[in-house]
Amino acid sequence: MFNEITMTDGTAFKVAAAVYGGAFLFALVVLLMRRAYSRTIMFALLCGGFLIQTLALNLRGAEIKACPLGNPFEIAQFLAWSLVLLFFIIGPAFRLRLLGGFTAGLATILSAGSFIIPSWDRAYPPGIFGGNHWIELHAALAIFSYGFFAILSLVSIMFLIQQHGLKTKQFKGIYRYLPSLQQLDLMAKRLLLTGVIVLTASLAFGAVFWVSNFELVPVYKLTATCLIWLGYLTVFILRIQEKLATRRHAIATIVLFVLAIASLRAVESARESVEPPAQGATIQIER
Amino acid sequence: MSEVLESLFVLGTSHHATPLEVRERFALTQSQAHELQKMLHQHEGIRECLVLNTCNRLEIYGLADCIERVEEIRGLFCDKQNVSEELFNQYAYSHSNLETLQHVLEVSAGLDSQMVGETEILGQLKQAFAAAHDADCTGKVLNRLFEKSFQAAKEARTQTGITRGQVSIGNVVVDLASRIFGKLNGSRVLLLGSGEVSEKTAQALKSRGVGDITVSSRTFENAHKLAHSLGGAAIHFEDFNAQLEHFDIIICSTAAPNTLLHKEVIALTMKQRPERPCFLIDLAMPRDVDPAVEEVENVYLYNLDDLSSIANENLEARKAEIEKVREILNKHAWNLWLQLRRRELMRKV
Repeated sequence: MFNEITMTDGTAFKVAAAVYGGAFLFALVVLLMRRAYSRTIMFALLCGGFLIQTLALNLRGAEIKACPLGNPFEIAQFLAWSLVLLFFIIGPAFRLRLLGGFTAGLATILSAGSFIIPSWDRAYPPGIFGGNHWIELHAALAIFSYGFFAILSLVSIMFLIQQHGLKTKQFKGIYRYLPSLQQLDLMAKRLLLTGVIVLTASLAFGAVFWVSNFELVPVYKLTATCLIWLGYLTVFILRIQEKLATRRHAIATIVLFVLAIASLRAVESARESVEPPAQGATIQIER
Repeated sequence: MSEVLESLFVLGTSHHATPLEVRERFALTQSQAHELQKMLHQHEGIRECLVLNTCNRLEIYGLADCIERVEEIRGLFCDKQNVSEELFNQYAYSHSNLETLQHVLEVSAGLDSQMVGETEILGQLKQAFAAAHDADCTGKVLNRLFEKSFQAAKEARTQTGITRGQVSIGNVVVDLASRIFGKLNGSRVLLLGSGEVSEKTAQALKSRGVGDITVSSRTFENAHKLAHSLGGAAIHFEDFNAQLEHFDIIICSTAAPNTLLHKEVIALTMKQRPERPCFLIDLAMPRDVDPAVEEVENVYLYNLDDLSSIANENLEARKAEIEKVREILNKHAWNLWLQLRRRELMRKV
């Protein structure tokens, strides 16, 4: 089916990034005019970007015959895709005002930012997951859980902005349109719980591979991944015990997300150091 | 060509030029307003009429066979209310023709209101129109005039910022509470003291869904009375400190000479409800809440000055929109004026 599509995956990724960028600019301009943006237009723009990005990921996946998570560029694209997908699930259900604009902003940074360093989209040998579906599922779930953490950090940023507005007695502009503190705090709690569950599941699937391929998983990759998981788990436990709430909880989730993104570098370098022996020629992806 | 609509008029008094004590003398009850409307309609030479009677204005809109009828109406009204014509003429205003159109459009858009841009007047105007219409006191001209004024008001509201932001203390509090708690139906409110502003604030919160209101005052009878009027409960003044953790919104307006709520007390209270924010509104003078309370995590403290400055800034922002609104309304007034003239000409032919 994808053979009939003349657009290359690279072009589709660029168009998707441009549409996300357009959505973010739209939100920014309307907010600078001190008005609330139309949710319908924002939803339509994100929908357009999401569909084009889905097409791009499918084209890339069809080419490498696996989930496209083989280099930093693909990871960033998949993360942006997960983030927008989660917005579609959360946005209409909880009607969090401005979440669309914030999602568009982060999706633009991730999808357009991944083009800045061309070496990120380097070619890699086929069979990156060694034909093991468990490890493919582990990788996809891990990045999907990062999608949860990405949207959680957005909700936390919105919480901090709203709280700053209320503490400093600001009531105009963006403060007027942000959701309430309670709504944001409750949403953050739910997102944290779901993200921790998905990341735990991802690590459980990864453990199946790790047990039988102990030597293929470097210690620093394992340490980085486990530390991030432990970090989120600790924040979650402290939250349940009401020891970490509101502002400190928001700051903790933002810091953890930055660390989680930074840890991807460790995961990547681990992959480089133990790249499985080529089962065929290196795939040169048409961009 | 003679003016075909020369007898479209409005005669009235409003808060702009008439002091409260004089407005009280002109004030009508709803039944008196209906009676006056009926009487005017039966008056020879008055084809259509409508009486708008609110706490800030009393206006008689009409279409008569000649403009001199306005003088007769002045006399009729003064006789009915038992006020001297001299007093009425001192404060009353009247407009005719296009000016009447412009006036009703400005009234319906809230430009002529005490709180610029308020929308309550539109509801009152709609009610007055419905009552006059049901009583067959309005005809084609006034029907058209009021229907168009409602449309114009809606357009002005959506195309400008004339209604943006809250301009009363009560509504500013509701806005802030919504930014903290979202829906207010689950929020618990404690009123400390039974001042008028705090009562109005509590009423504004109640109108937005707050169902749990508790009142505490030095005089338990006063607290009980206010609690009863708000559909809430009263607690003894000595007990409120021990129950602070249960309340999301605390409105203070006591006459106490010293601070009632200290930072240490609030910090201790917040430890018992770490996930629930607390919104403190200090309407008392001297203040009931120690300003250092603001430093406590998850506590939002607003005093009377903070709330007034928000209300005033919103009001200024609304005033900045007046010219934009006038432009929209003038366009509507001219179109309507031409339509009515054409219609009257056709009627005469």
